[in-house]
Amino acid sequence: MDESSTTTLGERVRRAQRGDDAAMRELIVSYQRRIAGFIYAITGRSDSVEDLAQMVFVKMVRALSRLKAPEQFESWLFRLARNTCIDHLRRQKLRRIFTPFAPEHENLPEPEGSVDGEELDALRHALSQIRPKDRALLALVQEGRSHAEIASTLGTSVAAVKARLHRAREQLRQHYQSNET
Amino acid sequence: MKPEDHAWTRLRERGASEISPGFADRVLRAARAEASPLLVAHFAMCAATAALCLGAVLLYHTRVSGDEEASSLAGWSEIAAQASDLEQGI
Repeated sequence: MDESSTTTLGERVRRAQRGDDAAMRELIVSYQRRIAGFIYAITGRSDSVEDLAQMVFVKMVRALSRLKAPEQFESWLFRLARNTCIDHLRRQKLRRIFTPFAPEHENLPEPEGSVDGEELDALRHALSQIRPKDRALLALVQEGRSHAEIASTLGTSVAAVKARLHRAREQLRQHYQSNET
Repeated sequence: MKPEDHAWTRLRERGASEISPGFADRVLRAARAEASPLLVAHFAMCAATAALCLGAVLLYHTRVSGDEEASSLAGWSEIAAQASDLEQGI
């Protein structure tokens, strides 16, 4: 992102923080598609994407006034989305322990071939084989987040992020290739 | 470009396509709806706390003033008894 767009974004965030509804709406519209794609990469379920995206943006609307550095809005928003997805998957896992046979509580990935082509199915399958936190890490990288930003999001060091990323990429590649062959 | 990069793009597009028209307006409505009950609950909590404090002050005041009255009455009774004794002695 260049300097002028960061300035524009920062200004828009400040307007939204001052209670400008139009600016808040602009922020949602600008990021809704990226956040939805990010959520889908982590959860692997298209039927929960819109609900989760709504949760993320409602949290954003309610917490935006507390964001001290408007220039860091984007990385803050993706952190919000990442945490919301991880919490959602954790809650689903807990529900499955107590009601293991309720179909509505199952978080099974969508059947392969049900939505798109082989290439996408292979990636979805590979992602479903790795831990949600690693999926989130890979999705953050795909969204253009820097290693430093991810380290700050996860509360860890850049070196630790690089190591985890390397492992996650390796695992993804293995599952991706095994599914393709 | 890695083989999975194209798939990533398609994956994100697939997720993005789940957002239906009017999403931003729904979010803003939901945020306002969530905020209102919280505000009401906040005021209810404040009112309950204030009522509790007022009740405690009134209870304390009633007890303290009751004790003071009883002690004053006892004092006056004693003085009256002493005055009566003195009158009889004279």
